[in-house]
Amino acid sequence: MSVTTALTEFVLQANGGPGIPPSAGAALAVGLAALGAGIAERGIGAAAVGATAEDDDMFGRGLILTVIPETLVILALVTIFLV
Amino acid sequence: MSVYQSDAGGNYEYVTARVRARKAALFDDDDYRKLVRMGTSGIARFMEETEYESEMNELGARHSGVDLVEYALNRNLAKHFEDLLRWADGRLYDYIARYLRKFDAWNVKTVLRGLYSGAGREDVADDLVRAGEFAESLLDQLVGADSVEAAVELLGATRYGDALEGALRDYEETGTLVPLENAVDRTFYEDLLADLPAESTRATELYAEFLYAEIDFRNLRNALRLARSGADMDPSEYYIDGGRLFDAGEIRQLVGNTDQLVEHIRSSVYGDELEEALEILEDAESLIEFEHALHRAELEYAGRLSNKYPLSVCPVLSYVLAKEREVENVRAIARGREAGLGPEEIEAELVIL
Repeated sequence: MSVTTALTEFVLQANGGPGIPPSAGAALAVGLAALGAGIAERGIGAAAVGATAEDDDMFGRGLILTVIPETLVILALVTIFLV
Repeated sequence: MSVYQSDAGGNYEYVTARVRARKAALFDDDDYRKLVRMGTSGIARFMEETEYESEMNELGARHSGVDLVEYALNRNLAKHFEDLLRWADGRLYDYIARYLRKFDAWNVKTVLRGLYSGAGREDVADDLVRAGEFAESLLDQLVGADSVEAAVELLGATRYGDALEGALRDYEETGTLVPLENAVDRTFYEDLLADLPAESTRATELYAEFLYAEIDFRNLRNALRLARSGADMDPSEYYIDGGRLFDAGEIRQLVGNTDQLVEHIRSSVYGDELEEALEILEDAESLIEFEHALHRAELEYAGRLSNKYPLSVCPVLSYVLAKEREVENVRAIARGREAGLGPEEIEAELVIL
């Protein structure tokens, strides 16, 4: 019961002020961006490992392609400095 | 890694990346042009410097000449296709295994024929293509079986068990292998389409379509062969259910009349894809040319699909087909050279894109 009350208070912002303070919002933004990057890297990484297994020269290229989605997180980090 | 896992998606990224690399490593035009001008020993030497090195070395002590080339090709094919099954997971495994089971069917038939004709154990073992789902140990047991009945009993637990047992009595009555071989083929083709997952993206739909086509073309080839050989047999007896091109009644009518048959295919779903092949069928006398054109159309179609749907079963299919054609091409070259055919004659036998 107390959980429901706490939730209602949170949703209705009974204590005043925003439910998600700016720093928490920025943290969420970075976290979600990292999650997206992870999902993207899953597929690319699998393909890169496959290509490397066939041809060792693909290691460097595979590595670069695998970390490209990492730019998402770097861009998302900007929000940390903006808030 | 089993068929029952098929609720999981599949590791398309990994498998397609590897498959694409392997497809790129297949022989190209230039290699073929070189090969058709070589003698059999030249072909063997050429192969030792490529992909086929380890197989050539393994088999080099026991075989020579064309046999060596042929067995090395079979082994290499088996190795690559076995790899596909080893890599693939979930639904992708199921899709690939469906098609590769044709090697199981081939192996069963080879073993039965070997036992029936009393061929040596080694000879039969060399002719097997260990690319299907059967375990090594089962194949070894099969090769070691001492009668057709014993082999059928060994196969009892596999998907061919029931059909083979049913056909065993026919075999004992008639003394010919035909009933057993038909049972194997029929089981393979029936299972090809059984329980395809209902979920489907466009790519898997197309794959299913390809499997349908496999059945349709098998029917078509059987019909054409019967028609050409002039044998007085009922084509519907060899008819395999599940295709979309004919039903059993139609095929009986169409076998007698090639023009009608061509017209029937042209107005079917395959009309556009097979335009070229049909023209060849119409004016060429030989079935072989038609089959080559058919293979070429298949390869092109699979290649197009694999570019259009990169993360699907299509690239794997395209690789499997290309590899099969490569093996057949090299075999044709080796056999042709041995028989003393000229480069031009051999080139006409190749299926090159």
